[in-house]
Amino acid sequence: MNTATGIIKALNSGIKHLAIKRFTLRYPEEKLKFVGDGYQFDPSTGVGIAGYKGRHMLFHDHCTGCQLCSIACEGVAEAIAMVKVPEEYKHNKKAIMPQIDYGKCVFCGLCVDACPFYALYMTNDYELSSFSKEGLIYTPAQLQVKPFVSQDSEIKITDRGATHG
Amino acid sequence: MNNELPPGLALQKVDERIMTLNVGPQHPGSGHMRIIVQIDGDYIVACDPDPGYVHRGEEKMAEYRNYITNIPHLERPVIHDSCNILYPYVLGVEELLGIEVPERAKYIRVIASELNRCVYTMYWLAIYGIFLGHSTMFMWPAGDRELLIDLLEKMTGARVTHAHFVPGGIRNDLPPNFEDVCLRQVNYFEKRIKEYAAIFYDNPILIARTANTGVLSRQDAIRLGTTGSVLRASGVDYDLRKKEPYDVYDELDVHSNVMNEGDSYARSKIPWLDMLESCNIIRQALQKMPKSGSVRVKLKPNPKGKGFDSVYKRVESGRGSLGCYIVSDGKPEPYRLKLSVGSFRNLIALPYLLKGEKLGNMPAVYWSLNYWPVEADR
Repeated sequence: MNTATGIIKALNSGIKHLAIKRFTLRYPEEKLKFVGDGYQFDPSTGVGIAGYKGRHMLFHDHCTGCQLCSIACEGVAEAIAMVKVPEEYKHNKKAIMPQIDYGKCVFCGLCVDACPFYALYMTNDYELSSFSKEGLIYTPAQLQVKPFVSQDSEIKITDRGATHG
Repeated sequence: MNNELPPGLALQKVDERIMTLNVGPQHPGSGHMRIIVQIDGDYIVACDPDPGYVHRGEEKMAEYRNYITNIPHLERPVIHDSCNILYPYVLGVEELLGIEVPERAKYIRVIASELNRCVYTMYWLAIYGIFLGHSTMFMWPAGDRELLIDLLEKMTGARVTHAHFVPGGIRNDLPPNFEDVCLRQVNYFEKRIKEYAAIFYDNPILIARTANTGVLSRQDAIRLGTTGSVLRASGVDYDLRKKEPYDVYDELDVHSNVMNEGDSYARSKIPWLDMLESCNIIRQALQKMPKSGSVRVKLKPNPKGKGFDSVYKRVESGRGSLGCYIVSDGKPEPYRLKLSVGSFRNLIALPYLLKGEKLGNMPAVYWSLNYWPVEADR
């Protein structure tokens, strides 16, 4: 191919994009949309339910303090520690529940797969930054709170290109 | 007293014409490695790649963790290609434990690994673009990669490091309506990467820069033991998806791309052709996939191997053949785990390719080898 035509073609294919809407997601103002409410696991079938692997959510009325999540995390991140909780439950005689250190967690979700009592799920919350190391350690009381995650944009594909509409 | 320094650090008495130059390990153009080049003026006389700066001991770590907890750390060497690096491990453990995987899981694995190959290749292509001073080729792949990362996020729940493959299938079934979204985004992705031809691959400036630099002949490619895109760019038609099909690749129509030039241009074009082929494979897999069914065999939380046994499995990753050798001694942990990675095999060709090249051509030759420093060091 002629060198001049090749360069003109290359420039032309770039110039065409001046008229196309931007694909970039303007992150703090717009946030991505997820499928579902986060990664969950159904122990009866042994298969997970698709969703984003973000911060965990602990259901105090299901957790028996069996430590299986903590054992599953051994050798992966060692992020889960079992701590005493003030409340007394009939199903949780030892009154211990997981406390998760997000400075160590790798969000693999193997702890969710290990829980046989539907007590530990993951949520869509991914904004966990903190000014101190202690702020990254989530106690059972903090893990109980359902997070609010704004989800406003997803990828839209039109004839003129893709955008985060 | 032994005053011997490691090679490369020792002071060498050299000809006054020849200068030793360290490229890396902190040079943005080298990745986490050092390339020691000896130059005479502008021409490279000798080259000695020095990897090992990001060695993490993945193989030794694997001996202290059981078959399930090995999954998150084994995918760390290549976080962009984490499904492919887990693939041989998972296939090997399945053979050791004697598990039969459901049909639907096999197809979803193929889709996930092809998407992951594209994500890796786009990242590689972005860096290749910026190495050659082509900023548009950095921005476009980095942006279009988002289409596939979005799909993988819907499938697996994480943008990188998916931890999706487990012995016995995959972690979770596809989300509802995934097939339509996947087909739409993969079709658009294919249309987008076809546009790269005009701006990058048919661009006379790129061709002048990469054609006839670092030519690896067919004999040398075989003799040095290169794999993947480097081998196929030198005219050897060897694609593991076709030659040793694993999972359901034998039911899909896979076309392996071969070029005969063996120069940097061919080595940079083969991964791009592979991405187009991946789009074809994903479309076929979406069509042939069983619409419902189990995706995971229920396993014990701590599966054990059956006595002394060993298995070697390999797959075609984004960087070449990726093998995993597992020895089991009947305990929940593997006795030995060895990863044989394509990056390291392709790096062997670098000293041969750079000899006699100009120093300015070094990035073009080095990155065309499809080398990923972290994977090579394991």
